[in-house]
Amino acid sequence: MTTNKNNSVPKKDDNYTHNINRNNERSLDRRGFMKTLAGAAGVFAVASLPWGALAAKELMGLADKEYPHQKITNVNDIAVGDSVEFHFPSEHDSAVLIRLEESKYVAYQNACTHLRCPVYWVKEQKEMVCPCHHGVFDVNTGAPTAGPPRRALPEIVVHVEDGAIFAVRVKRYEA
Amino acid sequence: MKRSYFGVIILCITLSMNIVFTQLLVHQYYHENYINVLIYMTCNIILFPVAIFVYKKEKNKGGANYEKK
Repeated sequence: MTTNKNNSVPKKDDNYTHNINRNNERSLDRRGFMKTLAGAAGVFAVASLPWGALAAKELMGLADKEYPHQKITNVNDIAVGDSVEFHFPSEHDSAVLIRLEESKYVAYQNACTHLRCPVYWVKEQKEMVCPCHHGVFDVNTGAPTAGPPRRALPEIVVHVEDGAIFAVRVKRYEA
Repeated sequence: MKRSYFGVIILCITLSMNIVFTQLLVHQYYHENYINVLIYMTCNIILFPVAIFVYKKEKNKGGANYEKK
């Protein structure tokens, strides 16, 4: 250990609880900056792992979506041009059923694809509108037509049987 | 002392590619193109050893003692 005049440890500071007076300890030099960048790359690598795991799970068919059919409403209870809210497939996935014509029904999961606000069917405008940031969706396809959302609403396949409307499954996006 | 910013620039590019790949990955996940998700995840993971390699290679460049070695 060097004991020249500048490097010697003063007697009063010669204990390990007070050895925090290092030069430039808090400055960020070129090497420290590069170290931060490399560490951030590691964070990104780790953060992308769960997405890959979920994707692999979907690819292996472990999450093949077939839910028990769920009754939404009776045909008589919904007039043409009206909508009914329901939850499908789980009680946390709110959805909306719209009767467009006498025998034409469409249903979408109505969490806006922008920030998951509920999307409403506006009868007068013939559009589905998200009130949070004025996102607008086409009612026939679920595709976004205005505002911030970029992805279509997930469509729910419905099935009419014995005067009742059933939700069958959630349609996958066309690739 | 002459500083070498080559490593800094390469690492900045690596990190910006990380950000781009992560953004694409999340979008492809919600578009349900799961093969693309795996591709972007691999890109992100490969960039990490690349960043470490560049850091190891460049950390002592441009220092006062570098030329003597």
